Amino acid sequence: MNGPRTTAPPAGLPAQPHGPRREPAGKAAQLWVLTVRQIRLVYADSRVVLFSVAQPVVMLLLISQVFGSLADRSILPRGVSYIEFLLPALLVTTGIGTSQSAGVGLVRDMEGGMVRRFRVLPLSLPLVLVARSVADLTRSGMQLLVLVVGGHLLFGYRAGGGVGGLVAALLLSTLVIWALIWIFIALAAWLRKVEVLSSIGFFVNFPLMFASSAFVPVEVLPGWLAAVATVNPVSHAVEASRDLALGGQAGSEVPAALCAGLGLMLVMMLLAFRAFRRPPEE
Amino acid sequence: MAADGVIHVVGLHKRFGAVQALRGVDLTVAQGEVMGLLGHNGAGKTTLVNILSTLMPPTAGTASVAGFDVAGRPEEVRRRIGVTGQFASLDEQLSGHDNLVLVARLCGASRARAGRRADELLEAFGLGDAGRRKAVTYSGGMRRRLDLALGLVGRPEILFLDEPTVGLDPPSRIGLWEMVEELTRGGTTVLLTTQYLEEADRLADRITVLEAGRVLVSGTAAELKSRAGGGFISFRLEPHGDPAVAAEALRLAGLPPGAETARGELTVPAEGSADLATVIRVLDTVGQNVTEIRHSEPSLDDVYLALTGAWSRDPVPAGPPRRAGVAKARRHTADPRETV
Repeated sequence: MNGPRTTAPPAGLPAQPHGPRREPAGKAAQLWVLTVRQIRLVYADSRVVLFSVAQPVVMLLLISQVFGSLADRSILPRGVSYIEFLLPALLVTTGIGTSQSAGVGLVRDMEGGMVRRFRVLPLSLPLVLVARSVADLTRSGMQLLVLVVGGHLLFGYRAGGGVGGLVAALLLSTLVIWALIWIFIALAAWLRKVEVLSSIGFFVNFPLMFASSAFVPVEVLPGWLAAVATVNPVSHAVEASRDLALGGQAGSEVPAALCAGLGLMLVMMLLAFRAFRRPPEE
Repeated sequence: MAADGVIHVVGLHKRFGAVQALRGVDLTVAQGEVMGLLGHNGAGKTTLVNILSTLMPPTAGTASVAGFDVAGRPEEVRRRIGVTGQFASLDEQLSGHDNLVLVARLCGASRARAGRRADELLEAFGLGDAGRRKAVTYSGGMRRRLDLALGLVGRPEILFLDEPTVGLDPPSRIGLWEMVEELTRGGTTVLLTTQYLEEADRLADRITVLEAGRVLVSGTAAELKSRAGGGFISFRLEPHGDPAVAAEALRLAGLPPGAETARGELTVPAEGSADLATVIRVLDTVGQNVTEIRHSEPSLDDVYLALTGAWSRDPVPAGPPRRAGVAKARRHTADPRETV
């Protein structure tokens, strides 16, 4: 940079007058640009992508062997194998881990980096978070597909509800995972420290995942835990996903899960936007 | 707006919990002016820039940039400013080119125009060859240049440079200075914070010294220097000379020297180069020959130390500091402007 550039300022440097002030990009264009950026960052390291996508298959393998050996046929719904019981639940619970990593990613993004610059650009700040949630959701989508394919190849899994039921279960799970991602985005925007987020994340993660009907039916849980599991929104999502995939009576659980998912997402989005607007304090 | 300045700050306060970062700052920067904001760590420089660049609202007082209140109309302010901070604000996982395209597109450029703008800026900042490499592979100096380029993507009218050369090696620092000088020739208004007097002296039209959240003094470099008096005459005697004899003779002549420095120099506060002749004549009279003698104008270091010293000891800033202690401070100056 101390090369032989001593003559007139190069084109592009402010020797040129400040042209007519451009309008900042429209919101749709901003969201598109931000989402593409975020997707590129989420997929920047192929090793991270590979292992995170393989993760649900490992869960399927281990949980089906550990709990499947205990899960007496008699506690499962009639004619339903443990894989058929478990896999639709994993479609939902897989998102819990992913959403925590979305939160951690946001904190890292906020520490210096481009997010700092976004705050002084003519930009709609909430879109930064929406872009983040969409990018992480694409990764979850890949995990769900890998889970279904892995279940089929390893255990010969077939959805009782047919392709339609399976697709419906995938769509519902995706919506619920989007809501879960927003929980962690809100926490991340509020806490702004990876260490704090990770330690709190455990207290959000494990109860959501295990105090639910994901791995065994609620009826076999101890009374207090069954009570917790009944109010756990993950339980409703799991039940709904299971209903759809099994092609059983897609009863009251599906609307309940949709409402819980949408409501949770809305509340968490608003909290996240508020928290994210808070100026960085040094 | 023109009458009030492009940047206009009145009675600005900022409190972080128990810490008062700003305690009533007033500041006006005119169109096309380069204002140097000088101060120690913790003086409030970065807080002031953060408020002016809409990163955080003030606790009290008002600040406007380009005629828009920073707290009330931040989106209007953001359309007109560029910011380069102490911490490079960029995506390490993206290339320099992609960083620039990202910001250009967010500022409303089409894909093609964003690409052209990115190439222009990469070329201008000597990053043409590294443009397609991930920024994580860049050296500190390259990151700073990319960061500055990112601040310029939207052709800002007002540029905030927060300690732009901290941690850079001397060649990179000089290179960055040259770039800022090119920018200011184009009429961009610049607010530059720095701890380096040399940097403020070189780049700024006017300098404001901040201390503990208050404006200590404001003026051109020449005005500030005039407050530190006429400078100093430093000399060294021949090896067999007697410093005590020389000092006594000068004291009788009304030019009392300070204590001998570690380098064996004696320093006399002086009004101007006329005193140089007096010193030589007096020393000659008492048979003391000098091997080395020079007259140094006061540097901003002297001003800074004199003013901040006066501030911390005495609420009323003292007059021009004709004091021996200043001689010691001179040794820290990187670039004394010498006349002999």
